[in-house]
Amino acid sequence: MIQISKKEPHLKKAILPALLLLSFTFFMFSCKTNPGNNADESKIDTTLTGTVTAELTTAPNVPKPLTYTSPKKVMVTLETIEKVMPISDSSEYTFWTFGGQVPGNFIRVRQGDLVDFTLKNAPDSKMSHSIDLHAVIGPGGGADATATAPGQSTHFQFRALHPGLFVYHCATGPVPLHIANGMYGLILVEPQGGLPKVDREYYLMQGDFYTKGKYNAPGLQDFDETKALAENPDYVLFNGKVRSTTGPNALPAKVGETVRLFVGNGGPNLVSSFHPIGQIFTKVYMEGGTEVNHDVQTTLIPSGGAAIVEMKMQVPEVINLVDHSIFRAFNKGAIAQIKVTGAENANIYQKLKP
Amino acid sequence: MIITFFSAANAQKKVVISKDEMVTVPAGKYQPFFITPNNQPIPVPSFKMDETAVTNAEFLEFVKANPQWRRSKVNRLFADTNYLRHWQSDLSIGEANKKIYNSPVVNVSWFAAEAYSKWKNKKLPTIAQWETAAKAPPRNFKYKSLTDFILDWYTKPNPKVLPNVKSTYQNEYGLYDMNGLIWEWTFNFNSFIGSRDSRGNDEDELKNFCAGGALNVSDKSDYAAFLRFSYRGSLKGNFCIANLGFRCVKN
Repeated sequence: MIQISKKEPHLKKAILPALLLLSFTFFMFSCKTNPGNNADESKIDTTLTGTVTAELTTAPNVPKPLTYTSPKKVMVTLETIEKVMPISDSSEYTFWTFGGQVPGNFIRVRQGDLVDFTLKNAPDSKMSHSIDLHAVIGPGGGADATATAPGQSTHFQFRALHPGLFVYHCATGPVPLHIANGMYGLILVEPQGGLPKVDREYYLMQGDFYTKGKYNAPGLQDFDETKALAENPDYVLFNGKVRSTTGPNALPAKVGETVRLFVGNGGPNLVSSFHPIGQIFTKVYMEGGTEVNHDVQTTLIPSGGAAIVEMKMQVPEVINLVDHSIFRAFNKGAIAQIKVTGAENANIYQKLKP
Repeated sequence: MIITFFSAANAQKKVVISKDEMVTVPAGKYQPFFITPNNQPIPVPSFKMDETAVTNAEFLEFVKANPQWRRSKVNRLFADTNYLRHWQSDLSIGEANKKIYNSPVVNVSWFAAEAYSKWKNKKLPTIAQWETAAKAPPRNFKYKSLTDFILDWYTKPNPKVLPNVKSTYQNEYGLYDMNGLIWEWTFNFNSFIGSRDSRGNDEDELKNFCAGGALNVSDKSDYAAFLRFSYRGSLKGNFCIANLGFRCVKN
């Protein structure tokens, strides 16, 4: 805010037209830099100023916001690992993963970066794997360059042109099976100015799973092709396991904090109606892109899509994050939780005696 | 003492079972999985095929007879650093690895498999031959469908100790373990996709990735075939992989 002193009224006269002109210029400028132009390579800075290695995290953790302010060559190595892990309290499943967990490692780069990408396939894998990153412009999103046999590695590079939150997934045939087994994750391309600072950031990714046995049937469960083709999952999960992010694993936050969630949907089939029970999204970067919507109750996250959502923690509570296609939350596992601690605020919410 | 002697004799007996048994695969037609105008069903004349995959014990005989294929001598162009890495040394599978003497040899390159075949006066099967042979229905089978069985195997991690040959099922032609034990090299393992050097070639459009991979296949629901072709498509001739072996044919 520009402060205008009351003692100098002549200045006020001079400044007001200048302000008007300034705001008009700013308006024109904002039109010129609308999201459609964000990815024009000639308009973004792509001059490399060094090499960094990307910090990779496993859900629900997110790499720290980037501190560099000019484009870098960013080294990223992901390893595909096939692994038996619990899918619920009594069922196990052979997950195919990027990095040993579902979802895969979170990757954070900046618009204009040149990403030098290596895909390794663990020596004891049974399958070939590859990667299609939705942040890539190029054949197959990288899949063309990364058909990787067990024990081998492949290598390619791409320019991060568009800012946004993007899904990556395995693109080896049959692609639906690789995705159904958990081969997906998120890559964030920060805009060149970065994202506004928040107090906490977390990583959640929804996925649907199809097993021979019913929900929570005991033992190691095989993939069920018939149920998958019928799009009738036994499990709809956040972060690859029933109760991955609830109870003792709930995401902590404090009253007064702003929490940002990077939410992806790996599919393979279902579209998520992502909703915070007892909260409202102050901001939604719709579909993970640059358009921001405000005051949203439920946002759609398509299969193979993502959204960035933010909430201001106002009162102590447990926020249930659900797919509001509510049978999925109630019967198939689609619940994650934020546990908010801190002082009550009767101005916002209080329970009253009857 | 006697027991020790007998088990040693048994082990010995197991090691030398390589009788080179081959069975006849009758003539048939092979519908290529990826369909192109030049890729119509092709006739496959009758041929003979090894009834099991080549075992470690059998491959050891080859290495003994062909010093250039010893682990320490092999040319890296023809076999990567994983070549026979599960053996104890150049000429020994290893006492500790007794259980796998009679299991399929793995960690062998296409070049090594090809050299072995020549040494035996045989060949590696073409994709058409291998797929034709593997299509025969299983004998005495507890699974409701072969695809089901294959998918179940594909979606389980590699076992710690690779089972012996003849440990899965035998098919109507008399072939053992065509699925469920290892992947197998074929002579033309990646010829179904355009090579990386033929950019602009129409075949390049048929790459087996993303949803495009399903545009031109003969049976979209055959996930087992997809997996096999994806696997083959990611191979190079010098790759040596822990679940990839081979068997031979004779025309």
